[in-house]
Amino acid sequence: MDTAIETTDLTRLYGTLCAVDKLSLSIGNEIFGLLGPNGSGKTTTVLMLTTLLRPSSGSARVCGHDVVSEAREVREHISYVPQEMAVDIKLTGRENVALFGKLYGIDRRDEKIDEVLEIMELCDRADDLVRTYSGGMRRRLELAQALVHEPSVLFLDEPTIGLDVAARRKIWEHIRALKGRGMTIFVTTHYMDEADFSCDRVAILDHGRLVAVDSPAVLKSRVGLDIITARITGQWDGTLPEGIQFLGEEEDDLVFSAAEGSVKVPGLVRCFEDQGASVRSISVRTPTLDDIFLSLVQTRDDAGGFDDHRFRTMLRRR
Amino acid sequence: MKDIIYYFERDLLRWLRGRLSVFSALVMPAAWLIFVGLALPTTFTTNYIDFITPGILVLTMLGASLQGGSLLIFDKILGFLNKFLALPAPRESILFGKICFITTRGLIQATVILVLAFILGASLLPPAGLALTYGILALFGLLLSAFSTTVALHLSDHDSYAGFNAIVSMPLFFTSSALMPYDVMPSWLRPFAYANPVSYAIDSIRALQEGLILWSRIGTLLLLAVVVIAISVHRFRKVTL
Repeated sequence: MDTAIETTDLTRLYGTLCAVDKLSLSIGNEIFGLLGPNGSGKTTTVLMLTTLLRPSSGSARVCGHDVVSEAREVREHISYVPQEMAVDIKLTGRENVALFGKLYGIDRRDEKIDEVLEIMELCDRADDLVRTYSGGMRRRLELAQALVHEPSVLFLDEPTIGLDVAARRKIWEHIRALKGRGMTIFVTTHYMDEADFSCDRVAILDHGRLVAVDSPAVLKSRVGLDIITARITGQWDGTLPEGIQFLGEEEDDLVFSAAEGSVKVPGLVRCFEDQGASVRSISVRTPTLDDIFLSLVQTRDDAGGFDDHRFRTMLRRR
Repeated sequence: MKDIIYYFERDLLRWLRGRLSVFSALVMPAAWLIFVGLALPTTFTTNYIDFITPGILVLTMLGASLQGGSLLIFDKILGFLNKFLALPAPRESILFGKICFITTRGLIQATVILVLAFILGASLLPPAGLALTYGILALFGLLLSAFSTTVALHLSDHDSYAGFNAIVSMPLFFTSSALMPYDVMPSWLRPFAYANPVSYAIDSIRALQEGLILWSRIGTLLLLAVVVIAISVHRFRKVTL
C-alpha cells in the first residue's frame, strides 16, 4: 500500500469554530509530524483519522478504508496512543499489554506479548505493577500495547509530552525503529527540535488550516535566510542597510533575517554605530524549524482578546 | 462476547487490588443493616429485620450501580475510553463489561447483607426464593448500572457525575418502599413509592418471604432493563467525542 493516509478537504466544525479547515494530506510509509500551536486542530485531526470523531465535511481514508463508512476496518489497521498516558497502574506491565492482545484477538498471544515487551525494553520489569514505572516506561508500555496487533499505522498524540530529555530521546529512537519495520507513524508534537530530527515530513497547522507541508530540510531551505541576533545599548531608529529585515524583538535582543548573514554583519554593526548605539553582542545562525514555525503561524498569544468561551469549547471537544 | 470478559476482568482486577475499596464495599452494607435494621424504633412490625433486609439489599444495589458509573467517567477522563473506542472490538462490549462488573460487585455486597441478616435473626428463605432474590437483584443492578454508565458516557467530568448521582439516588431512595410499608407512609407519597422501580425490586423480594412471586412487578423490571440496555447499546455504538 502506497498511501497509508489520505484526506480530502477534511473539515471539522464546533459550532461556529472551525477546528480543522479543508485539510488535504497524502501520507505514505513515513514518520509524519503534525505541528501547530495549542488549539490549532492537531488532536481534532487525529481523532477524526482514528474514527473517534466524525468529520463535518470532507473525507479521509486510512489504509484504503473510509474513516466513517468503514470505521471498523480502519480500527483493525491502526493503533492510537492519546496524550493522556492511560495505563492501569494497579495492573502489571504484562497485564496491561495482555488486555490489548486479548481485545485485538491476536494469535500466539503470549509470544507476541513477550515480543513487544522485549522491543520496548520492558522485559525485566514486565511483572511489576505499573505504579512503580517511570513516565518514560509508562509511555513505552503504551507503545507496546499499540504494537501488539502489528498495526499498519500508528497514531501518537504528543508522545513525548512531560518526559525528561533521556526518555524523549528513547521514545523517538523507538519510533524510528518502528518505521524501519514498515509502519507508518502519524505523530503530533509541540517540540520542533524533535520533529526536525525525526520526522520525514511535517505539516504545520494554524487555526485549522494547513500552512506548510514538506520535509524539515526543505522547509528550512525555503526560507533561505540566516537569523542575526543583536544586543545593543542606545537608540536605534529602525534604519537598516540593504538586504536585512527586522523580524522583531526577543527579550532584550533584536532579531533580523538576511541572506548570507555573516557577510551582512559588519554593515549592520556600522549602521548601529552611526546612530550612536553600541553593539554588545551579535550572532548569526541558520534558521531552525522554530523560526519557520513562528514565521508561518500567527502567534495567538498576542493576537487580540482571548475568547474564553471558544477556548473552553475547544478544550472540551479537543 | 469474549471482549466483555476481558473488560470485566480488567475492572475486577483493579478493584481487588485496591484493598481499601474492597474492605469498604464489604463493611458499608453491614453498617447499613446494623444501624438501620436494628437501631430504628418501629411500631408497624414485630420482625423489622425481615422487613428491612430486602430494602437494604436493593438500596445497596442502587448505591453500587450509581457509584459504578464513575468507573466510566474515570476511564474517560484518563484517556482509557479513547483507546478502547479506537479498538476493532464491538464498542458495546465496553458497556457490558462495566455493567457485569458493577452488578457482580453489588451482588457480593448483597451476599454480605444476606449472611449478616440471617445471623441477626431474619427468617431463612428456601433455595428457590434465595435464587429468585439474586435474580431480581441482578436484574435491578443491570438496569441501574446500564443507566448510570450511559449517563457517564455523556458527561465530561466527575463533578457533574456526582451531581447526577445525588439528583437520582436521593429521590429514588426516599420515595421507595424500603424504609416503610405502603400502609404506614403518608398518602401523598404512596403513588410515587408504588411507581418507583426501586420499589418493584423491594416488593418482589419481600413477597418471596411469603412464598409469592410478583410476576407483574418482575416483568416490568425486566422490560425496563431491556429497554434501557437497548438504548445504552445504541449510544455506545454511536458515540463520538
